[in-house]
Amino acid sequence: MLRTSTIGLGVSVALLAASGAAHAAPPIKIGVQAPITGTYADEGQGIARAVKLLAAQQNAKGGLLGRKIEVITCDDQGEAAQAAICARQLVNDHVVAVIGSYTSGAALAAEPIYARADVIQTSDGTSNELLKHGYKTWFGNAAPNSAEAKFTAHYLVDVQHYKKIAVLTDHSSFATGLAEAVVADVKAAHGTIVDKSFINAGSQNFSPVLTKLKALQPDALYFSGYYSDGGLIRAQMTQLGMKATFVGGDANQNVAFAKIAGAAAAGSIIINVPAPADLPYPVAKQFVADYKTKYGALPPSVFTLTNADGMRAVMQAIAATKSVKPAALETYLHGMKSFQGLTGTFAWNAKGERTGSPFVAFEVQPDGSYKILYPTPTAG
Amino acid sequence: MGTFIQQIVNGLTVGGIYALIALGYTMVYGVMRLINFAHGDLCILGAFVGLTMLTGSAGGGHPGAALLLLAFVVSIIAIAVAGVVLERIAYRPLRKADRLAAVVSALGASLMIENGIMLVWGPQVHVFPSNLLPATTWHVAGATISFIQVMIILASLVLMAALYLFVNHTRFGTAIRAAAIDQDAARLMGINVNRVITSVFIIGPGLGAIGGLFIGIYYREAYFTMGWTYGLYAFIAAILGGIGNIPGAMLGGVLLGLFNAFAAGYVSSSWQDAITFGLLIVILLVRPTGLLGERVAEKV
Repeated sequence: MLRTSTIGLGVSVALLAASGAAHAAPPIKIGVQAPITGTYADEGQGIARAVKLLAAQQNAKGGLLGRKIEVITCDDQGEAAQAAICARQLVNDHVVAVIGSYTSGAALAAEPIYARADVIQTSDGTSNELLKHGYKTWFGNAAPNSAEAKFTAHYLVDVQHYKKIAVLTDHSSFATGLAEAVVADVKAAHGTIVDKSFINAGSQNFSPVLTKLKALQPDALYFSGYYSDGGLIRAQMTQLGMKATFVGGDANQNVAFAKIAGAAAAGSIIINVPAPADLPYPVAKQFVADYKTKYGALPPSVFTLTNADGMRAVMQAIAATKSVKPAALETYLHGMKSFQGLTGTFAWNAKGERTGSPFVAFEVQPDGSYKILYPTPTAG
Repeated sequence: MGTFIQQIVNGLTVGGIYALIALGYTMVYGVMRLINFAHGDLCILGAFVGLTMLTGSAGGGHPGAALLLLAFVVSIIAIAVAGVVLERIAYRPLRKADRLAAVVSALGASLMIENGIMLVWGPQVHVFPSNLLPATTWHVAGATISFIQVMIILASLVLMAALYLFVNHTRFGTAIRAAAIDQDAARLMGINVNRVITSVFIIGPGLGAIGGLFIGIYYREAYFTMGWTYGLYAFIAAILGGIGNIPGAMLGGVLLGLFNAFAAGYVSSSWQDAITFGLLIVILLVRPTGLLGERVAEKV
């Protein structure tokens, strides 16, 4: 299924008539590599929609450097093999930068292709594998696993004082990395890990492994994988009468988690940067409102916004350096002291790792919304 | 002990679903010597049809038992019709052709149904309503058994028993068995083999639709690529029990479910497929035609 669609929908006909016709300059091409179909389809569609929205807004203001922004989308289905095909297609399309993908695995497969072609890649992937080669084209737009693991261990051991913690992960490079880091940090904080088990993502039948964990009577079950499995794990825990508190890693923060878990969702804890609707920054509120007006729904998760931050940073780099030369843009992005993102102010270190992200632990409410438990939210 | 019983319940639940789907593979193979690779996708199509019935007509209200029953009936009819149409379009024209042609046609049909589901219902994960069945659970010897697990296990047992009786103790069942042994001889005896084949494509996909809808209700989610995974498992269950043999498919499904539960529960989920399929290889080495498979008479 090779589907590359050139999407000019964001650029409305009226805008084209107003300004586009006058300019002969070719558009600045921005690629989107995301799982538009497959298990993580709603995340991928969120990323594509966010980028198209930002491009349309910028084009309405006259574009960048007097040129229109054109968004080219490629569906990687969340699969490594398809991701590599997408990367080659987008490189052949001469994009300046690529936003996405959602999963670390898909980002990892595409990473060397972008690096060789000197195309900027900004993805919410946080697997440590992505940093291994030190590619200067890589810009992770979500907080790295190491910071999340530290916060998670602190929350489990020092805040909640869970005595026995069981860890569950899938086999993806992101989730195993996060699980290993959490296990190490919990041990460093003198917490007890009773077991670390694996699930096969998408296999649906998690009762056998949960039955095994139930017998160990953990106080908390930490799951580092993705929401589609997390929701089912939560539901099957209730079915088995398992009393442990479900604590999920950042990839569980998706509206589908509560839908899949159903009545069992309430009381689950998820650790991530705040959800889109809970972000306190005015830019974020404006973006979420614009997104909702345009698409009739809230962004599926905060990763829609972290990828939007990647797009915003790239646009700012183009405007500030007045060029689309990769070397100039990369130097600018690496050198940014602090960038006011939708998801908080951040910067990139030399490895392209995002620094500066406020983590929170929030509880899923019976209606599927989130309530921040820790750190205790301050009024206003 | 509670953990052990819990694993048996876990295994029987998925095993029952595998068995229901495996019956479709084995019946078609028995009569036509054809692996209907589109079967798994037909089952998941059944889940989607049922989902549309449940969410479309409920209007947000509480879907009652009557609606659930209606969803099953509509889904079974729709998938049985789809099965018959599939046979007419994709398999009947190739009946005299090379066997490889039919396999390719089956794979093509599988992809067509899978992508058809994606086009109609979309690529995202669909979620079933959570209030379809009572959330009652029972505690038996330290194990927790939920209402839906009991329902799936009982329903699959009843359906399999009914099918067994139908095939072995009715006139039409005798015709099916005769066509499975030798189509030409059956035709000479006045059996309408085309009708037998059509009936097999009604019963198999019909049971598969029930299996598919069980998957949707048990796990409460459905997505368009699910047919391949479940189809593969059910196909393996059919081989394990002896393909072409109806009690074999039931046994194979239940055993596969139990293998999986014990491998995941006592060894590791990472190894569950490796262990399950390792066992499959061992069984096939010892009994090449499957556990209950017919012994192929060798001509000396």
